[in-house]
Amino acid sequence: MADALLKIDGISAGYHGQDVLRGLSLTVAEGNLVAIVGPNGHGKSTLLRAISGLLKLTGGSIQLGERRLDRLRPDEIVAAGVVQVPQGDLLFPEMTVLENLQMGAYLPAASARMAERLEEVYTLLPKLRERQHQVASTLSGGERRMVGIGRGLMADARLLLLDEPSLGLAPIIIDQIYEVITTLKHSGRTILLVEESAARVADKADHIHLLDHGEFVWSGAGSELMARPEILATYLGS
Amino acid sequence: MDVVIQIIASGLTLGAMYAVSTVGLSLVYGSLNMLNMAHGALLALGGYICFYTMTALGLPAVVGVLAAVVVCGLVGLLIYVCTAAPLLGSPQFETGVFIATIGFGAVVENVILRMFGPQPQPQSLQVPGDIVIGNVHIPNQNLLILAVALGLMVAMALLLKRSRLGRAIRATAQNREAAQLMGVRVGQIYAIVLALSGGLAAISGIMVSSLYSLLPNMGGDPMLKAFIICIVAGLGNVTGAVISAIALGLLEATAQYNLGVQYSFALLLFLVIVVLIWRPYGLFGRKQVVRL
Repeated sequence: MADALLKIDGISAGYHGQDVLRGLSLTVAEGNLVAIVGPNGHGKSTLLRAISGLLKLTGGSIQLGERRLDRLRPDEIVAAGVVQVPQGDLLFPEMTVLENLQMGAYLPAASARMAERLEEVYTLLPKLRERQHQVASTLSGGERRMVGIGRGLMADARLLLLDEPSLGLAPIIIDQIYEVITTLKHSGRTILLVEESAARVADKADHIHLLDHGEFVWSGAGSELMARPEILATYLGS
Repeated sequence: MDVVIQIIASGLTLGAMYAVSTVGLSLVYGSLNMLNMAHGALLALGGYICFYTMTALGLPAVVGVLAAVVVCGLVGLLIYVCTAAPLLGSPQFETGVFIATIGFGAVVENVILRMFGPQPQPQSLQVPGDIVIGNVHIPNQNLLILAVALGLMVAMALLLKRSRLGRAIRATAQNREAAQLMGVRVGQIYAIVLALSGGLAAISGIMVSSLYSLLPNMGGDPMLKAFIICIVAGLGNVTGAVISAIALGLLEATAQYNLGVQYSFALLLFLVIVVLIWRPYGLFGRKQVVRL
């Protein structure tokens, strides 16, 4: 078992004084792909927002290696090596694809290796090289998602947070996105991914946590979850 | 023909002055969704600092301009610290900061009033002479204003388009949360934008006072026109603001010649009403869809 890179210990967080996450604990080992699955509105994105520092914790702690993250600003958390590819597009709509990717390497450490990183992203996502001078708002949904992932890869991330990368996309595009995610996993990246569909991540994730009403109600390997239809039916309706 | 040359020369000078002032306002609105009502006071402050540096301290014009830019930049920073920063994240940010900057502007204007008195003063920075095109004399002062405004617009465009800081400013304006997730320290960007806007206001104030005169409330009229231009262009659209400023400067000069000075401002206001009916998001603005 590899060392734990991310350690989340009993965190609670929410909006307007109402906790959405209730005492969640989780570890992500170096080089692993860990998936959080669960229905909409049960705290998956809230968890990623809390890790990225966009949401203050009301309890618990988050550590990356030996460093406490939960007292840092979002930009300091990015500098520490946690990069999020947010849900939906959240691109810079009036910037070109290239400018969006350059923003991914905004911090000085990543900026110093901009050309090298850009080449890596273009190799992984060749469509982005063709579209590099196109304004982001004119791209298709799948292309925008690719830019989002490419932008996340431009930073020197130790941990990549992917928030529902398949949301709103056609099945063929979802397959392409997951091919990229699988390549990233095989290249040794540490990934924490949230998804609504367990089937989509079951064969790719090293570990799956099922989130319901802000609490983990089941954890284990993907194959185990797929072999438990009663759990899938109860929590995911499938 | 002479009349046309005269109108174009006056219109471009007016437009250039409006552009410098409008870009600062537009940049702040685009980045922070903040209507900076202290902008007019910063214009006046810039004019007076240049005047004081040259007249009371006897220093050259370049030092006067630099001093005005630095002081107004720092006051812009102070506006961020005193008004915007405490209200960031508040659901009533836009209303709160609007009122807070009115108060801040009033304080600055009253400090100027106490220090320099209510009487008009001539701006010390004046370029003598003129050039003649046909039978029209165009003062060198106007040409200097045009050249400085053009230089500033190019510099701003390069800053926003080509530099790392410019990309961060645009990113923050387009999507604050996404910018944070890229490692941009948005508070720092907001502070820089307000300081930049302060520096631009200083130059605009020196330009305006060099054509008219220095008064503690001299920033009111240019600020109002800058707001009109921002609305016509689409709030927060910097390129649109420059184009609209030049166009409205030319329109104002034409209206002043053909209809009389008293109708030019009314015509500008009429234009705003027409634009808001036709395109509520401005000529260069983008339609926004708000999910309730």
